[in-house]
Amino acid sequence: MTGIGKNEITTIQYVLLIHGTQVGIGVLTMPRELASIAGTDGWMSIVLGWGIAVVASLLLLNAMKHYPDKTIVEILPLLLGKWLGNTAAVLIVLYCLFGAITVFAYSVSLINIWLLTQTPGYIIVILFIIPLYQVMKGGVRVLGRYSELIFYLTLWMFPVLFFTWPKLNGIHLLPLFKEGWKPILQASQSTILSFLGFELAFFWYPFLQRKQYAVAGMLVANTLSMLVFLTVTILCYSLFSPDEITQFTWPTLGLCKVIEFRFLERFDIVFLAFYLFVLSTTGIPYMYLTVFSTSRLLGSKNHLGYLKLILLLITVAAVMYTPSFSDLKKMVDYWGRTGMVIGYAIPCLLAGLLMFMGKKAGERSG
Amino acid sequence: MSLKGWLGRKRALAMMGKRTSTRSIQPISEKLQDNIDMVQSTFTLTPDLVIRTFESTFVEGRAALVYLSGLVDKNSINNNLLRPLLNPSEGGSTSILDLLSVGSVSTYVDFPSVEKEILLGSSVLFIEGRREAIVVETHGWPQRAVEDPQLEASLKGSHQGFVETGIQNIALIRRYIPNRELKIKELTLGERGSGKISIMFMQDLVSQDVLRELEGRINMLTVDAILNTGELEELIEDDPFSPFPQFLTTERPDTAASHLLQGRVIVVVDRSPIVLVGPATFASFFQNVDDYSTRWPVATFIRLLRFTAFLVATFLPALYIALVSFNYEVIPLDLILSVGESRERVPFPPILEAMLMELTLEMLREAGVRLPAPIGQTVGIVGGIVIGQAVVQAGVVSNIMVIVVAFTAIASFIIPNYDMASALRLLRFGMMGLAAMFGIVGIIIGLMALIGHLISLESLGVPYGSPFAPARYADWKDFFVRVPLWNMKDRPVSARARQNKRQGDNRLKGDDK
Repeated sequence: MTGIGKNEITTIQYVLLIHGTQVGIGVLTMPRELASIAGTDGWMSIVLGWGIAVVASLLLLNAMKHYPDKTIVEILPLLLGKWLGNTAAVLIVLYCLFGAITVFAYSVSLINIWLLTQTPGYIIVILFIIPLYQVMKGGVRVLGRYSELIFYLTLWMFPVLFFTWPKLNGIHLLPLFKEGWKPILQASQSTILSFLGFELAFFWYPFLQRKQYAVAGMLVANTLSMLVFLTVTILCYSLFSPDEITQFTWPTLGLCKVIEFRFLERFDIVFLAFYLFVLSTTGIPYMYLTVFSTSRLLGSKNHLGYLKLILLLITVAAVMYTPSFSDLKKMVDYWGRTGMVIGYAIPCLLAGLLMFMGKKAGERSG
Repeated sequence: MSLKGWLGRKRALAMMGKRTSTRSIQPISEKLQDNIDMVQSTFTLTPDLVIRTFESTFVEGRAALVYLSGLVDKNSINNNLLRPLLNPSEGGSTSILDLLSVGSVSTYVDFPSVEKEILLGSSVLFIEGRREAIVVETHGWPQRAVEDPQLEASLKGSHQGFVETGIQNIALIRRYIPNRELKIKELTLGERGSGKISIMFMQDLVSQDVLRELEGRINMLTVDAILNTGELEELIEDDPFSPFPQFLTTERPDTAASHLLQGRVIVVVDRSPIVLVGPATFASFFQNVDDYSTRWPVATFIRLLRFTAFLVATFLPALYIALVSFNYEVIPLDLILSVGESRERVPFPPILEAMLMELTLEMLREAGVRLPAPIGQTVGIVGGIVIGQAVVQAGVVSNIMVIVVAFTAIASFIIPNYDMASALRLLRFGMMGLAAMFGIVGIIIGLMALIGHLISLESLGVPYGSPFAPARYADWKDFFVRVPLWNMKDRPVSARARQNKRQGDNRLKGDDK
């Protein structure tokens, strides 16, 4: 076997791992992006994006079924031959690394802009290294526990958003289908990026204890994320006017700014601070998988050395270079594009390939 | 070299230097005088050694009785050993063993074992012309009576606490579980002060993995002596770098019995009034035996109070620092004004103010613990005056800080387990530092690191974070809430018991009432 051993995750952990990876930096900006493309109909694109994501994730699981105890970086060499497969695997690892760095840098710059304006970015990076190391050194099962726990810990943040209720105005959502289907379809392109995270099932699937629930779990995870996206977007839409919303860089945080309690004035600061937990469940899986797959590719069973190395490299990189916000936007953009390939194209190709190969393998074993 | 590597190396070196006793096994001589000489040369400078030689009509020639006077029960020696030997009844038995009216009698042929037995409190009988020594169990060392437990006082539970004798402690537990499935594995540990370590478990419940793990870890140790349960705990725990205790310690036989029945393993260390319970989980440190004898809504309320206290004790001073010195925009204007008013005369930054008060509190607590009761009270009064009145009037510390400190102190007293409460004391300072440097973000990152640490910890290979991470929903019946007893039909998953069913349906229903 592949040394999975005790590193198993339960179905709920699997669901929340995927859900945690999906809900991340996207939610903060999504209402603006949707509004700028599709206007008041933007929220419908989320449902559409959800549909596409579900299809892609089902294809992915269907493909993974053929190799129940191998992750994608081990399957690819088997399918495509040593050289081609390993190259493809390296590309996937690079994608994970890119994802990790994007989320990490984005979170750090978010803290820098909203919470700690005086602190240099690299200090925040160094600060983050400790909890990241704590969580990642334990392997997949600790990651699963982390996502699970954080989900419960951050559950309260969602209903609190409904405190905006008195200021909401449903009229902003109307009219429906203002400009027909075209903009909705266009905007769905940006929503399917927010659903990225399910592609990590390439890696989680082998660790899943009860594989028969993989499909159901995937559906639940995608739907959970969809509900979060949808609620946040509709709340933002009804709070701000269609023009106003495009002015905000982070409309979701604007939503929190409206909320005020007798004992708490700037709720958005508390919200954002706790949102770091949500961001961590997005970034940590990517970073862990980079380390994990690298160690697998290089034939090592222990990922700790690579973990220390990558954390050190990130720190060094952060000290030398602090990305500007426009750089970050570009990074997110590039990451989205590669994510499209990894998350949506590869499952289709893989499913086709395996269907073809599966027949051959069936003949061989039969 | 890393810190861990350095500590590991030290341990390895200690193992290498293990004293190997190469003394050849000395047989017991046929001549009585040789044996007595041997004993005397072994136990030099030992005034408490008693060698009583006597002649008995029963044995051919002379005999000698050897024991350490402080460690034996004199009555037993006088009545059960000397009397029958000196005045053998007429027409009695022919074997000397039948003559001794003592429960446990055994014979040894080599000197080292005899020496060990003497040191442990047995009496040894050498007889002229015999190549063996008769070892009679006459233990009777100084003992404390069974008393009310000190650290874990209970309102409705039993008032018997463990004492310093392992056998008695085992008996105290056995009183609760008179069952043949209650098994005990006895190990001897310690090169110089060898003592008995008894691993107790329910044979049909305990997970073999856990048992094997624990036994293996104890067997690996080579130490001079285990003087206290805490030493053993530190040597065998999973992560020695963690502030959190990874074994539950208890001085209550009823708690120990309850854990045994849940399928956990118990380690009784002879000479220590505290036993180890493993595997432990984070949540188990917030449970108390009284929880199960108070009404369940009340018990649930108290549980919730404890978890709240955990949060307060860890984060409140940090939150105060973060809000006052960093993220003051979070608090509404009215509140910040009153806080500012209170801090008006205070010349220090909040972190210094908080450190000052927290350290004073810790000192007061530590001073109160070790001092005899009458002086301890004085410490409390002095501390009360200092914290309550003088510092505020002098303008060294603000009123609100005093409230924060008092609140934190009370919260940390609610945690029922001393080890866990101590861990929180340490965490609090870390959080305060983070809050002073990074405000709310610092606290969140501290919390993140804390969570990351808690969920990756293990106790005997069982996840420490259970039942919240990994979430075991079946165990949530005894986690934040304590559901009615008739509802807890299964044993906790985190105990890894082999038989899951704990009890039948005990609830009266319908016409049964």
